[in-house]
Amino acid sequence: MWVALLGPVIVLLAHLTPRAILASLSAPGSLGPLAVSIEASAVALGVLVVIGTPLAYLLARERLPAPRLWEAGLLVSLLLPPLVIGLLLVFMVGPATPIGEALSKIHLSATNTFLALVIAEIYEAAPYYVLGAQAAFAAVDRRLEEQAGMLGDPPGRVLRRVSLPLAAPGLAMALATGWARAIGAFGAVIIIAYHPYGLPMQIWVTLDETGLASALPFALVLLVVALPLPLLAYGWSTRARARH
Amino acid sequence: MGWKRAVGIRRALRRGAGLGVVVAGLGLAGAACGSNPATANPPAVSGAASVAYAGSLQLLDEKVIGPAFSKATGYGYQGRGGGSFGVAQQIQSNEISPNVFESIGAAPITLLEPKFTSWYVQVAASPIVVAYSPKSPFAPQLRAIAEGHEPLSDLFTLMEQPGFHLGRTNPDTDPQGQAFCEMVQLAGARYHLPPGTAAKILGPLDNPSQVFAETALEARLQAGQLDAASAFLSQAIQLHLPYIALPSAIDFGDPLLASTYARAALTLTGGKSVHGVPLVVDVTVIGAHDRAAAAAFVAYLLSSSGRGELRRGGYSLVTPWLVGRASAAPKAVRHALAGS
Repeated sequence: MWVALLGPVIVLLAHLTPRAILASLSAPGSLGPLAVSIEASAVALGVLVVIGTPLAYLLARERLPAPRLWEAGLLVSLLLPPLVIGLLLVFMVGPATPIGEALSKIHLSATNTFLALVIAEIYEAAPYYVLGAQAAFAAVDRRLEEQAGMLGDPPGRVLRRVSLPLAAPGLAMALATGWARAIGAFGAVIIIAYHPYGLPMQIWVTLDETGLASALPFALVLLVVALPLPLLAYGWSTRARARH
Repeated sequence: MGWKRAVGIRRALRRGAGLGVVVAGLGLAGAACGSNPATANPPAVSGAASVAYAGSLQLLDEKVIGPAFSKATGYGYQGRGGGSFGVAQQIQSNEISPNVFESIGAAPITLLEPKFTSWYVQVAASPIVVAYSPKSPFAPQLRAIAEGHEPLSDLFTLMEQPGFHLGRTNPDTDPQGQAFCEMVQLAGARYHLPPGTAAKILGPLDNPSQVFAETALEARLQAGQLDAASAFLSQAIQLHLPYIALPSAIDFGDPLLASTYARAALTLTGGKSVHGVPLVVDVTVIGAHDRAAAAAFVAYLLSSSGRGELRRGGYSLVTPWLVGRASAAPKAVRHALAGS
């Protein structure tokens, strides 16, 4: 099973030669998409952490009205194919929509811009991060939080000193999943953010322009860039769980 | 019966010196005549036409021609679309293995020569138009131009306005994207527009505020998020979008005007220079897999049924020509061309 899962990666490595990698990556401007992908995914992840973590906590502790409705909302966005998310975002943030018009007043646009790329990545990654973070908070023993409260800690301090540290291994995994989804986002991206090219778009356009041999090295770059964070998170999470 | 058979020979100037061959063209004139496979009971056959087509042919191939072909011939049909150059690259790298390739323009097919094919047949032309959104604030002016109440030159004045949201496809990967840029160039000369108008309208070749994936372009126009966009006439008809038709001298839909179109030129991002060419639907058979089914599909396109479906789909019918090594084409294709 493990080997089968890794099949595409093995095939990728088998089809790459150092010469092909060098030729593809040394072309002028070829590394720009790498920087774009890293920057956009970092911003998307930052937004997810700031907005998604409190949402995940409130969902886990059922502090929101109609919690099942909130969860259903997340599941719906998880179930929507990314391409459909992109098409719907056209109606939501396109230049002739209220949001698009508001953005244009502050000289921003969510069409073929860095902002559009970040938005597309957020929508593709958000359900993965929030549901993962919710599971991480839900796994924290409530009695420990209640005991800290009874000892006089205010809710904010309980969250900071008890809930977050205990949920951290699970949060790290949710973060890693969110990162992988954001940096590999394509379906929504091709619709609302054809430009600026991140790595997935670069792979697609290179495939169209010059074929598979030139596109595959960028797939390797995507893998090399996207993989360390999930690996680190997994390693740290495993060690932290073992300590607990 | 009723066939008008035209036999001609012409040089395949578009094909470059690689093949450098004299082109045998066996033409069929007139869409109203020809065999009609749909009327016969389909024979018991096996195999399927696996058709890779230019994205603009998707609706017609999937909803009309594919099912009609299966019904008429008994062969199965499966299709997949994409940018013509992209599809050619995928075939070349063995990522996909269709047995028929329908391209817009011959250049993507010639990329596959001689390994995958050495001939193609041009079956129809696909003129470009300027489709517009009825929700656009510019819609009244665009409608007036479309209906001929205002001169076509006004379109270009309108498109260069800063608030005008224009969409087009990527010239680096899509023949339509190239043709649209070249159309603006040709229009500049034809309508004596001020120097620099094309640059003002288009901006850089890969202008981020104008260039979209083909799917996104259509969606944006239908959602009213673009004022106007490049489109094939067939797309505008199939998507029920209002459009401004262009004269044949600048719409890339008349193979006889190839020399006029060639006056426009672009330098692509990679530095390659391209000249305007007619946007013709060219089709060829690739590989040996289910070759009989593949040949039957091409023959169907050349039949009166297939040509009628192309015409109703917004394509201009042209006299079918076989370009390249006629002897390499399957017998069924040559038979359909010759009408015998």
